[in-house]
Parts: sequence; structure tokens; C-alpha cells
Amino acid sequence: MDKERKANLDRALNPKVIAVVGDKKITDYMWLKSVKDAKAKVYSVQIDENDIPGIEEMGIDNRKSISDIPEQVDYAIIAVPRPVLPFILADCIKNNVGAAAAFTSGFAETGEPEGIELQEKIIQMTSEANFNLVGPNCMCMYHAKVGIRNTADQWIGEGGNIGFMSNSGTHATNFVIRARSNGLYPAKSISMGNSISIDQGDWLEYLGDDPDIEVIGMYIEGTRDGRKFFETLREVAQKKPVVIWKGGQTKEGARAAASHTGHLASDMALWDAMIRQTGAIRVDTQDELMDTMKALLMMKPFTGENMGIIAQTGGQSVLVSDAFGSEELKVPALTETTHERLRPIVTVVGGSYKNPLDVSGSLTSVERATEMLNGLHDDPNTDIIVMESSIGFIQRRLEKQGQGLDTLIEGLKSFQESSKKPFGVIATWNQNEGELADFRKKVSDAGIAVFPTFQAGAGAIRKVRDYYRKQETLGTK
Amino acid sequence: MSSFADISSTARAENRVILTEQESKTVLKAINIPITEPVLATNSKEAANISSDMGFPVALKIASQDITHKSDVGGVRLGIDSQEEIAEVFDQMINTVKKEAKGSSIDGITVQPMAPPGGVEVIIGVTRDHQFGPVIMFGLGGIAVEILQDVSFRIAPLTPVDAEEMIKEIKGYKMLTGYRSFKPANMDKLKDLLLKVSDLAMQESEISEMDLNPVFAYENEVVAADARIILTDS
Repeated sequence: MDKERKANLDRALNPKVIAVVGDKKITDYMWLKSVKDAKAKVYSVQIDENDIPGIEEMGIDNRKSISDIPEQVDYAIIAVPRPVLPFILADCIKNNVGAAAAFTSGFAETGEPEGIELQEKIIQMTSEANFNLVGPNCMCMYHAKVGIRNTADQWIGEGGNIGFMSNSGTHATNFVIRARSNGLYPAKSISMGNSISIDQGDWLEYLGDDPDIEVIGMYIEGTRDGRKFFETLREVAQKKPVVIWKGGQTKEGARAAASHTGHLASDMALWDAMIRQTGAIRVDTQDELMDTMKALLMMKPFTGENMGIIAQTGGQSVLVSDAFGSEELKVPALTETTHERLRPIVTVVGGSYKNPLDVSGSLTSVERATEMLNGLHDDPNTDIIVMESSIGFIQRRLEKQGQGLDTLIEGLKSFQESSKKPFGVIATWNQNEGELADFRKKVSDAGIAVFPTFQAGAGAIRKVRDYYRKQETLGTK
Repeated sequence: MSSFADISSTARAENRVILTEQESKTVLKAINIPITEPVLATNSKEAANISSDMGFPVALKIASQDITHKSDVGGVRLGIDSQEEIAEVFDQMINTVKKEAKGSSIDGITVQPMAPPGGVEVIIGVTRDHQFGPVIMFGLGGIAVEILQDVSFRIAPLTPVDAEEMIKEIKGYKMLTGYRSFKPANMDKLKDLLLKVSDLAMQESEISEMDLNPVFAYENEVVAADARIILTDS
């Protein structure tokens, strides 16, 4: 992407003036609503008399064309029928719009001659004019701090540090929504759609250069220019973590991908090879994406393999050890010094002061929990500290001290702040699910990585550990 | 020594995209990849003379521009120990191949030294992917590649880290670290071979596919015992 295009794309992502073209009553003016809270002047462009009154009722200035807008438009969202798209694009190009994002679909992704031909025409227009088109067939762009969104349901505000790019509009949209309930703050989420003018490699480069973004995630089904993507990934993955969620991994999935975004499916073995050699991180589900991002952003960097674990009961301590063991992580014996330190505080008969600690009834207060965590932390044999939190079990004991889960979370937060080693919490589905969801939300809002299952925690910790190790091998960090 | 450009233009002039074993090995030899060198014989007497210069045992392989899977048509005999055996095998092979691959033009039979025993058989391949361009494959030869598909891929150009990791990534890696009568394979030479193949694939955009199969990995060296290069269609 050349400097001029990058500057124009910057302008579109930080717009002073937005134009929404073709928004309709029947879709409840979804696009105007998506930008109504943006720190920008919003215009509508609509010629249908049935749709205009609703737009004006929202207090939005409606015009007959982009050329009628008295200011320079930075970002245009286009939701017109497909045969009309070339005319609107011509208007955008003529009026020096920074970028247009086209919700309009029905192009190459249909596999039909009419759509393919129309897409060819758009490719020609945008490449001749060196114009930034997002999509078509996309859910446009999200930028939290300026208030542009893929959908009005998304959170907006300062402080985002994750960049997401997606072949699918659904995943671009939902990533942001779900990330917020996992204590993660997306800054930008780009629905790339058919990505005919700004391709996957361009977006990766753009997010790689973005100083607000610390971690990049993507949902990707394929790329038009694999070599460019590979070369870009090789550079970007050494600057910041890139988490790749690849759709269309099986032959069945690949067929679905081809009909979805018009991409030819590619061989997963090659994607896997590329991810390994560039030092990116592979995930296979949205759950893994969330957990991996938590481990990247909330846990201190680590390359070790030795877990120090607190489990609430014996049954959990067996399962948690199995889960970490099957991800090439170890649960080593602690030193005699640590045993002497823990023996007097893990007192319940049937419990264990050995790693993993089976604290059973001994975790009677937040102070006690902190002592146990510090015991594990100070042991030279541990690299990573994890606490399994069966909340019903803990809650009953804390209540006797007049403490609750909120006090516990405060205590965990203080431990994490003082800890030199990475720390995470596992809150498994063996309790009241509604309360668990609430607990997890609070833990992640406190900036602590919390995982929903032993396997999820072990998997995310292993992936991120492997990432830091690979960075070490590549000699960049 | 012929360069890749000379060899590929000769092949194209003859409307071929598949280089012969001799041509493929000439390309590899030019970039200092160790090979077992085939020498063409047009009759059994020549073959016998060549092999006594070379020293036994030798391998005989049919030389034909039309035949790519030589062993499928009876065109490969390994471990031949004497001049008498050569005389017998030579004519037999010509007759069998004429029957099994009717109408193929036959240039003769190549004689090459047998790779010594004690090496682990590996395969190194190149393919040009429509999305990613040249891609390098590594695996153990024989059953491991054919049935278990125990192979690793990397997109070219390989870095030394890539080369090392793709060797260690295969499930059968332990075979290369020494077992029973097999000495540990020379990792530096194996990595170097992968890097040379990667350079060749990056440099010569006319190479569509390439197989070095088998390559024998020994304690002190690696040797490509067979090779095939396929050019792009245009």
C-alpha cells in the first residue's frame, strides 16, 4: 500500500465527515445508527422518498449525492443495490473520499457471471483511481475511540489495543462484542469482505504499523496474494503477536469458503507451515482466540514450562495436572523450603501442600490464598502460576470471614501486580454457570487472564509460551 | 557444465517439461548438491566398462525422456555386483521396458554408483503453490512419506531456523538421531541441502516441481540418489 493510499485510509478510519449512502428504513437504518455516536459529522445520501423521512427524523442531513455534501467526505459507507455501486464509487473517487466500505454484496462470492463481471468492473475502477475500497460484501470498519462500528451493538471508547481483521463480517462484528465481555479491548475490527482493493496483506501491514495495536487477530479463509501475505506476516509477526484463526480447513469447509467470500480455498498444511515459520499463533476456534489473547495481553511474557498450581479439591488437582501435562507443560515438585512454608497453612486432612496444591478447606480467607500463591511464586521450580477457582467451594469459606468473591478478586489482582511470574485463573464449568459467567467477567475486568476449562487454560498458555520461545529463536525479543 | 537455463531450453525445444534424471542431477550438481552421478551406456559392454571404472555395486536405470516412473516399468535394478550380472540385466531391462512402456524412446541405460548402506532415506521436494509460490517439503522416504504422509512444509525462501525446524517437526525425526545400526544423520549437511533446494526454487521460476527422492543421510554426508525436476507449463 503506497503512502497516499495509507494516508487516505488513515483519514477514513479517523473521519471528520462520514457519508452513509443508501441506508434504509427496512433495515432500521443500521448503518446510520452504527456511526451516530462517532466523533464526526454524519451525512446521509438517499434518493428514495420512502426512506428519507426516517433519516431526517434522526436529525441527519440527507443529500441526493456525495457531490452535494458541502464538506470533504473522509469515510463513505455504501449500502446500495449492486448495479448502483459503480456509480456511487465513481462519485467517491471524484470527491476524493478517503475510503469507501461497501456492505453491498452479490459479486464474485456468488460464483455467477453477473456478479463476477461487476466485481471485475469495480476492481478496474478502484485500481485505476488508486482508491481504497473496503469489501464489497462486508460489515465495514470498527474503530473504538472514534466511534465507527460494524454494528451499533458494539462498545466504543478509549483504550483499545487489539486489531482484528476478518474475511467474515459476522466474525469481525462478534469478535468485538465477545472480546469486551472477556476483558479485552479491541481498537479496530475490519470486515474485509471480498477485499478487492485492500487485500489481506495490506490490512496486516496496516495493523502492524498501527501504534495503538499491541496484538493482531484475524479470521481468514484465504488470500488472493499468498506470497505478499507471507512476506508481510514474516515482518509483522516479529513486531507484535499475530493470532490466526483459519476457516475452511477441511475439504467440506473449503467448499463453504469458496461460496462465502469468493476465495479459492488453500491447503491447511501450507497455512500451518506459514504460521509456524513466521512465528504467528494458530487458533482453531473463537474460544481459543479469546483465551490466547488473554494470555498474551494479561499475563507477563514467559518461556518456561513449570506450572505452580492451586486447586480447590483433589479431583480438580488431578484433572488440572492432566490438562497441563498433555500440552507439554510440567507440574514439578516444589522445594523443601516451600513445603515447610505451605505445610502449616494447607492443614486440612486429605489436602496437599505439594504441587498442585489441593487446598480443600484450607483456603479460608483472601490472605490465606495470597500466602499460598506467594509460596508457589517464590519457589524456584515454578515459572507460571495458576489458580483453579471452584467458586461455590471458595465462597462458602470466605463468607465465614465476611469476605466474598469480590474481595478475592482484589486479592488476586494485588498478587498479580506484585508477581514476577505470569498468573492466570481457571474457573471451570462445574458450578452454577450463571454465577461463573459473572465471576469470570469480573476477573477479566480486573485484568487477570481467566480460562473457562483446564484444557482451554493449558492450551492458551502453551500456545503463548511457544510464541515467546519462537520469538527467542528468531532473535527478535 | 550446463546451467539450468541450457538444460531447460533443451527440454523445451524438445517439447518436454520433465527433465531426465541425468538432467535433473546436472542441475543439482551445479549448485553443489551431492548426487550419485549417472553415466549413460548404450550397450551392455559400455555399461560393464563404466561400472568397473566406478566400482561395484552399481545401479542401472533406464534412460528415457518419456518414462518418469522408471521402477514401474521395470527400469531400475539396484545393487549389481559383477560384470556378468550387468551383461544379463542390461538386455533384460531393455526388453522389459520396451514391453511395459510401448513406444517410449530409449536412450540407453545409466550406470551409477550405489549409495552406501547405513544412510537414512529422506525425501526433499518442491512444489509451486498457486497462492504461496515455491514451497519446500521434507520427510522420511519410503513408507513414511507414502503411507504415513509424515512430512513438513515451509514456504520458500527458507531461513536456517526454518530448515532446522522442518527437519525436527516430522514424527519420525528420531530416526535421524541414530537408532540400531544407523548413525545419527548429519544435521548441518541436511539443513544445507534444504537451503540450497530453497535457493534454487526461488531463483528458477521455471521449476514447477522437484523431487530429490531418495536422499541418503549419513553421519558425514548426504547424497541424492535420484532426482526429478518438472518445469512449468509455459
